[in-house]
Amino acid sequence: MDSFFNQYGFLIVSMTFSALLALSLYLPLMAGQLSLASPAFYAIGGYIAAVLSTQIFPVESGAPFPLERLLLEMLIAAAVSGVLALLVGLPALRLRGVYLALATIALVEIVRVLSLNLEITGKAIGIFGIPQPFATKLDYLWISGVLLLVSAFFVYRLEHSRMGRAFAALREDELAAGAMGINPTTTKLLAFVLGAMLAGVVGAVSAHFLNTWNARQGTFDASILILAYVIIGGSRTFLGPIAGGLLLTALPEVLRALAGVPGLPPLAVSFLQDGRLIIYGVLIVLSTLFFPQGLITPALLRRWNRKGRA
Amino acid sequence: MNLALFFQQVVNGLAIGSVYAIFALGYTLIFSILGIINFAHSAIFTLGAYFTYALMGARFGFNGLLAQTALPFGLPFPLAVLGGGLLAGGMGVLVERAAFRPLRNRGADPLLMLVSSLGVAVALVNIIQYLVGAEAYSYPNALAGLPPSINLGVGGVPLIMRTVLVVIFIISMLILFALMRLMNHTKAGKALQAVAEDPVTASLLGINTDRLILLTFFISGFLGGIAGTLVGLSVTITGPYFGITFGLRGLAVLVLGGLGSIPGAVVGGLAIGIVEALVPPDLSGYKDAVAFAILLIVLFFRPQGLLGRTFIQKV
Amino acid sequence: MRLIRVVISSLVVAILLSASFALAQDVQPIKIGVAVAQTSNVALFGQEQVIGAKIAEAYFNEKGGVNGRPIQLVFQDTAGDEAGAINAFQTLIADTVVGIVGPTLSQQAFAADPMAEQAGVPVLAPSNTAKGIPEVGNFIARVSAPVAVVAPNAVRAALNLDPNIKDVVVFYAQNDAFASSETTTFQSTVTNLGLNLASVQTFQTTDTDFSAQITNALALNPQLVIVSGLAADGGNLIRQLREFGYTGVIVGGNGLNTANVFPVCQQFCDGIIIAQAYSPAAESEINQTFRELYKAEQGKEPPQFSAQAFSAVQVFVEALIRLDNITKLDTLDLATQRNLLNLSVLAGGYETPLGMLSFTPTGEIVQEQFYVAQIKMNADGQTGTFEYIQ
Repeated sequence: MDSFFNQYGFLIVSMTFSALLALSLYLPLMAGQLSLASPAFYAIGGYIAAVLSTQIFPVESGAPFPLERLLLEMLIAAAVSGVLALLVGLPALRLRGVYLALATIALVEIVRVLSLNLEITGKAIGIFGIPQPFATKLDYLWISGVLLLVSAFFVYRLEHSRMGRAFAALREDELAAGAMGINPTTTKLLAFVLGAMLAGVVGAVSAHFLNTWNARQGTFDASILILAYVIIGGSRTFLGPIAGGLLLTALPEVLRALAGVPGLPPLAVSFLQDGRLIIYGVLIVLSTLFFPQGLITPALLRRWNRKGRA
Repeated sequence: MNLALFFQQVVNGLAIGSVYAIFALGYTLIFSILGIINFAHSAIFTLGAYFTYALMGARFGFNGLLAQTALPFGLPFPLAVLGGGLLAGGMGVLVERAAFRPLRNRGADPLLMLVSSLGVAVALVNIIQYLVGAEAYSYPNALAGLPPSINLGVGGVPLIMRTVLVVIFIISMLILFALMRLMNHTKAGKALQAVAEDPVTASLLGINTDRLILLTFFISGFLGGIAGTLVGLSVTITGPYFGITFGLRGLAVLVLGGLGSIPGAVVGGLAIGIVEALVPPDLSGYKDAVAFAILLIVLFFRPQGLLGRTFIQKV
Repeated sequence: MRLIRVVISSLVVAILLSASFALAQDVQPIKIGVAVAQTSNVALFGQEQVIGAKIAEAYFNEKGGVNGRPIQLVFQDTAGDEAGAINAFQTLIADTVVGIVGPTLSQQAFAADPMAEQAGVPVLAPSNTAKGIPEVGNFIARVSAPVAVVAPNAVRAALNLDPNIKDVVVFYAQNDAFASSETTTFQSTVTNLGLNLASVQTFQTTDTDFSAQITNALALNPQLVIVSGLAADGGNLIRQLREFGYTGVIVGGNGLNTANVFPVCQQFCDGIIIAQAYSPAAESEINQTFRELYKAEQGKEPPQFSAQAFSAVQVFVEALIRLDNITKLDTLDLATQRNLLNLSVLAGGYETPLGMLSFTPTGEIVQEQFYVAQIKMNADGQTGTFEYIQ
């Protein structure tokens, strides 16, 4: 078991990060806003942690990075991302549907290009040698796991709160929601800001987790990947994005492990190794065909509930 | 910047912009009919370039399943471009059949099609790599006999253009012209426009939407494949990920022109090409962001795009 | 549900069966991990590294492996990202390899090397050139020379070719870590040699058109253009420079030291001066052997990435042999093997295709020879050679 956790500790924590990022995209989507901005705030959060921990309060090399500073970085990342989201959100949320999605893609690209050009973000090479608060990668689960539980609980409660119902009303029909006395602008803005803050926090932890941070984190590819987590997991309950993030992050590694199963014919091994991403792509297509509502749907949950009670 | 230099940059920008335009038209056509963005479009762009390469009878490299193979025949470049475009169009049809139609028939969320087209893109790009490796390929002697550059200047002021860019510009314009003819002067083209305006009424009028959607994917794939070949001609096919930057730029063009507007995509493409070319040298690191900065500004002030009509969200 | 159960149980049976087969074998090869980018947009380099490493595996096993015990390379794809590199490293570490060759990119190394350091597994970087890689830890060393030492020779070679050079324009790929650090060396070399650095132009490795930068650069009438980039973008830039009518000298950085530029700039590659960390023309016996093996398989001159991967495997093999001569490897447990292998790697000197190599105590490469070559294209415009000039 130890060796399993040694080998897969990194992957397990990566999976929780993906689930969190999926939630950060799900939050605005709850209010009907297709925002792909998560990677931009993720990148910004990461740079905040990277710069703070390597330049503002560095530790002696080898010494563990104090946990309370990591928490402080997470707070700062959340605050900065939140404020930024407010500023960007006000004009952006007047846009609807694909327009908003494209505007947020533009934001992601602009952040990427800025970080490639600025001195403080380390240009192309990025920032490296980010100090470690934990002895092993698996220990990051103390942060990411707790964060995931807290966020999941928060979103779960949100779904059943007055604000959550306002979100849902907006998603179904913005005009009608307005007539029901819901202020669309503040409601949408809240959903957008919450998502951005979560992505920023995840970025801050990720920078430590990856040891390094650069402009290749948080790109357009990531936008699309996170969207795939949400859509494939299911976009109608908070469990969907979580499941999508966990599964899709594990999938390439599961395929890698399959290639290592002894006794497979060499052709299969070589396909599993070099064609891993072909399988990945095909599985994404298939899952949209076979699970058009996503893997986890409210109907499925109701069925589970009934079974559980019976 | 002196005037000659300025003109030179504008002309350069026009040539690049014309490729942006035909590439983005592929997005636009599908968007106008289905209201979705086809993320597999950049993979088809890449495929088109490889198809043309194969059709010229050129040999693949040392990696991948098809290492060291070549077709038994070789077409001259102009025919190969056309063939590459047609094959890419066929690929577009396949993508529609495999990833879009089953979802459409179930009335699935458009977002789902977006994700499934993303899956197609991931698979296609990696299939290319699996088959022919990641090395760069260039079209053998495609423009043999032409000088590398042409001086378009008058009166002793040089205005030097790469011949390739002139060729690209001409081909793009021909294709745009043909597309306009198709849209405005044929039954299929008019039907396409009718469906784009209002699919429900169109189907009531007896227009076969399914076939038109197939046609749209074919044309879109054709345009993407040609754009891929043209860029490949200008700079070589740089590998399976060749289409990614174009895919992103194309999105900016799509919005700038107004989603779903054909003249808009053309104007948007040319505009982004020119503005990018005019980025001063000290700031060239920011060139990649220019298209998106414009996009944001346009969206904030004119959400329907430069030439788009006001967008009514379909619920 | 039934079906799933059947599938899972048959999988389990298959795994158990094959595991028992594996146990039945007698001579266990020594496993060395290779974690490079076999997929993603950096696969071009990973591909070359895999070829070089495989040639090394066959060659050294042919020669008797490690005192009769064969080596076995275990490949894990890192793809192009940091998480992929960490996953590949973790898989290899768990797979009981004694050492790892990889990853492809410096950025990936900053993420993945600490994992190997923590696990006490020696890493030889085949292509990480950024500052700070060997300093990641005691177990991290590299066979890829940092850029600062390779570049200046090429500028001097250009001056020999054309003593009238005065104005220089420098281009570099800004989103590439290697190019953007190499360019600082080029720029300071230019000023140190008393030349005029007329302009610095940036581009992206993903760019396909350079008209704007070129037009700006050529307006300054330079006699020398220096390009730091990778094969595809750098090659394109050079091609477009020539198409725009630039006739002066061109120096290409180390990223262009691969036959992959030939199909990109075609006949326009002719005459480019290239700074090299590896030259196929190097006369050592091991290099000529490697070159022949590579040419027999791939039909062209070996690129630097392949030579570096070959050299990394070679360093591991020779260090293992030296270690085995002192203490038999099979008497040591895995952790000790890895630990001693690391010490053995750092202690030795190696006659590789790259020339004579050794390491500083931190794991930085000490490479004795660098090369400058000039590209000579064949009449077909698709193939060419690097002609050694110094």
